Amino acid sequence: METTVKQWLDESRKKLQAGNLTEADFQQLEGLLTEPRQMLLYLYSKSTNMRSAIASWALYDPTVPYEPTLPSQDVPYDSVIEAVNDGWRIVQFPRAELYQFSDVDNTYLGYEFILEKSTSDL
Amino acid sequence: MIDIQPTMDDSQVMDFVSRGAVVVEGVVPDEFNRQCETLPGGSINEFACSPRFRSEVLLHPEVAGVARSLLGRNFFMPITAHHHLYEESHPGQTWHSDGLSEYGYGVNHLQCYYYPQDVTLEDGPTMVLPGSHHRLVDREAIAHYGDILGQLSLTVPAGTVVLTHYGIWHKAGPKLNAKRRGMIKFSYFRNSPPKRDWLIESEEIPPYANRERHLYANEVESYRDMARRQRTWNWLCGVDTTPDVSHGAKLFIDARPLSEIVNA
Repeated sequence: METTVKQWLDESRKKLQAGNLTEADFQQLEGLLTEPRQMLLYLYSKSTNMRSAIASWALYDPTVPYEPTLPSQDVPYDSVIEAVNDGWRIVQFPRAELYQFSDVDNTYLGYEFILEKSTSDL
Repeated sequence: MIDIQPTMDDSQVMDFVSRGAVVVEGVVPDEFNRQCETLPGGSINEFACSPRFRSEVLLHPEVAGVARSLLGRNFFMPITAHHHLYEESHPGQTWHSDGLSEYGYGVNHLQCYYYPQDVTLEDGPTMVLPGSHHRLVDREAIAHYGDILGQLSLTVPAGTVVLTHYGIWHKAGPKLNAKRRGMIKFSYFRNSPPKRDWLIESEEIPPYANRERHLYANEVESYRDMARRQRTWNWLCGVDTTPDVSHGAKLFIDARPLSEIVNA
């Protein structure tokens, strides 16, 4: 962050001398001074394959107020690989050996991929 | 003893086995629904035992008929109830099941939701996940789940009663307004061995006719669901001697046999 702020200062001094420093420049500075936050996306794939269809999803964005939003049946991505293509990074893969496997009964939704993005990526 | 007639046939019981819920729409009269407009939130046991609540809701032929179909004769009647009342907007509850999972092949406990007013999508309807009663989970470990394909928002007209398998995943949905949204929750319990004594056309027990795959289920899960539905169907028909292990129902029974309920 320190480097980027110094760059901003160098550029802004030049703009100030040229007389074209604007409000937008200060908004940019405000953005640079804000610490990036981690956003998490849970995707429940229908298999361990990242190209499988999605059964469930949940987005946790700490920068957005916790307010009511209507439920949805529109999947944000058709597959995990599609989310990765949109800039999400996988931080947890479902590992089959960690599942309490029973060939008889169903349990939790599977297979849980956890992905992250930084607010600075937006 | 009060004579409650079953209302469900083989096909409707098979639907319940698959989905874990029956919706009985708009059967409670408006005049009684309006009496609930001033009920406070929380425990309303005295109200649950009142003659009017018993006759208009608990013993309503279409409501009790479902309980009679799925739980058999002389089922346990509720003597307690809880009023889940929301009067402000809120983000909604997290997915959960109540109490213990009551995991087992049998159907021993019906948890019911009665809505005295219309419920729209913006009013924070109860949401349920059909078929989730067949999944053994730690209820605190599904709280991070968000939207799930096939989830159902119970947007219903006033006077609706929804009867569910106790273990079904549910939650109060997000509420976008400050309208009063009440839901009275109560339970019926089994008090007799399972037997195919709902509405039947012949004594011959039909094999379970499998229902569609739940949208959230993958292929192998649908096979497991199919096997479990068959087993529950056989259990309900009294032809499967597999011991049932619904320990939770035994823990939480707070009810009286129908035969002891005098005032209808």
